[in-house]
Amino acid sequence: MSRFRPIALVTDPRYLDHDTANSLHPEIPARLEGILKRLESSPLAPYLKKITPRKAEMNRVLAVHDEDYLSSFEGTCISGREFFGHPDNRLGYDSYEIALLAAGGCLSGIDIIENGESELVFCCIRPPGHHAETAQALGFCFLNNVAIAARYWKDVHGKERILIIDWDAHHGNGIQEVFEHDPDVFYISIHEHPTFSFPGTGYSNETGTGAGEGATLNIPLPPGSGDEAILNALKGRVGEAVKEFRPEAIIVAAGFDAHVMDDMSGLAYTTKLYGYLGTFMAFWAERYCKGKVLSVLEGGYHLEALPASVEAYLAGLSVCID
Amino acid sequence: MYILRHMTPAPLTVEPDVLIPEAREILRSNRFRHLPVIDEDWRLVGMVTDRDIRSAYPSSVLSGEERRHELEQVSKTPVSEIMSTDLVNLLPHSTIDDALLLLEKKKVGAIPVLDEKGVIVGIFSMRDLIRAYKRIFGLAEKGSSLVTIRDDGEPNVLARIVKILEQKGIPFTRLSRTKLTEDERSPVIVYIRVQTYNISAVHSVLVSAGFELVDPEPLLPEDRHLNS
Repeated sequence: MSRFRPIALVTDPRYLDHDTANSLHPEIPARLEGILKRLESSPLAPYLKKITPRKAEMNRVLAVHDEDYLSSFEGTCISGREFFGHPDNRLGYDSYEIALLAAGGCLSGIDIIENGESELVFCCIRPPGHHAETAQALGFCFLNNVAIAARYWKDVHGKERILIIDWDAHHGNGIQEVFEHDPDVFYISIHEHPTFSFPGTGYSNETGTGAGEGATLNIPLPPGSGDEAILNALKGRVGEAVKEFRPEAIIVAAGFDAHVMDDMSGLAYTTKLYGYLGTFMAFWAERYCKGKVLSVLEGGYHLEALPASVEAYLAGLSVCID
Repeated sequence: MYILRHMTPAPLTVEPDVLIPEAREILRSNRFRHLPVIDEDWRLVGMVTDRDIRSAYPSSVLSGEERRHELEQVSKTPVSEIMSTDLVNLLPHSTIDDALLLLEKKKVGAIPVLDEKGVIVGIFSMRDLIRAYKRIFGLAEKGSSLVTIRDDGEPNVLARIVKILEQKGIPFTRLSRTKLTEDERSPVIVYIRVQTYNISAVHSVLVSAGFELVDPEPLLPEDRHLNS
């Protein structure tokens, strides 16, 4: 009996070509290089199978983003400008193509789950996506990878109730914007309190609108919160919400910037916590989705904490407890 | 900051001889709680609130007979009988600070805004106040984030911060300096609302200029149980 379940690792050297070159920009290719290097020499290595992503088809991206927005994104890259909309959103000539490849990685991941090749998929991609809105780039994000994946899972594979759980240190305003009216996609986010933290959204009173009322759950944690705070939330309100929703598919917006060493947030999780997060995700996947879950990399900027936390997460996610 | 820009202009009003059931219906269907009463020259003569109206109606513990009788009385009573005439008002050039202080002092939920002739031109409610301050403080403004540093006690602290941020091209929208608590010995904190996700860059710029980053508002051990 093996110790870990196999994990499909969606990644591609082309993800390094999204160029944010600037001495102070934290969303850099070294993030992925660090993760992949760590995983190569990890006890998990024999259980990991690399998958090459495809480019997202335009109709899948248009299911989330405005056409005008996409052409202006593409135009900005080709024109040689250094950022899109806000100086935070640095990009290079290839960034549009790479962003399509990042979103496409999630779609490849879903196909792998659906055709039975692997129950667990980790998309080790960049640029990240959860701040990107229908028609706005924000916080290093251009295309909302998770939102595009959720629409695809529903439209192509017929999943009716999709749970998106986001424990990046920052609120995923983009995912929320796309699905706040949708009762069938439940967005749960646990993040640093918006009074103190980027992007200034994700207050607990944001619970969805119209038909989607109740299908958004925001749990802000005060700066300085650590493992205990998020574990209490998972055992309490999150657990109850998941149980009530009974998802048919689970997507994890996996950001690692709440780590105590990561200075992009005031949260203070330990590396070990990410292992626990993995077991929680695996537990819900087992109970509601035959063990299947798609995890998508979002933030995480400390070049030592990030690889260690990803490894801990994947170990917790895949470990066999029997 | 002038009330003029934050009030609800041209509010619905009634004349003093309007009957209570009609006033109740106006409040109910428009979902607000304060109804100014004006004379034929549009001058304010009273205010009726949903609470005044509720207390004018008979109590539900009364017997059927008594209740019917009182209801009949209410349906013939004009609002002038129940309106409050102890009035306060704001002027178009009052500020939202005036409004805040007056709302707090008078313990009311809305204040009419009158021009120099006493003619009603608007109404300013708690909701308008909340909206105005939300905008001023940048609360829930998308893409913003709060960075806090300790006042180093040296002269021109705010000017120095502004200079550094502008030199380094860090977008920011608010800067305020305040004591953490009302306690004399409380540390003085400077709050900077930056418009960027790149918080680590902001931190390194401030730290290399000699500033000390602090927790926005350190939680005490005894507050911890409030967390979850």
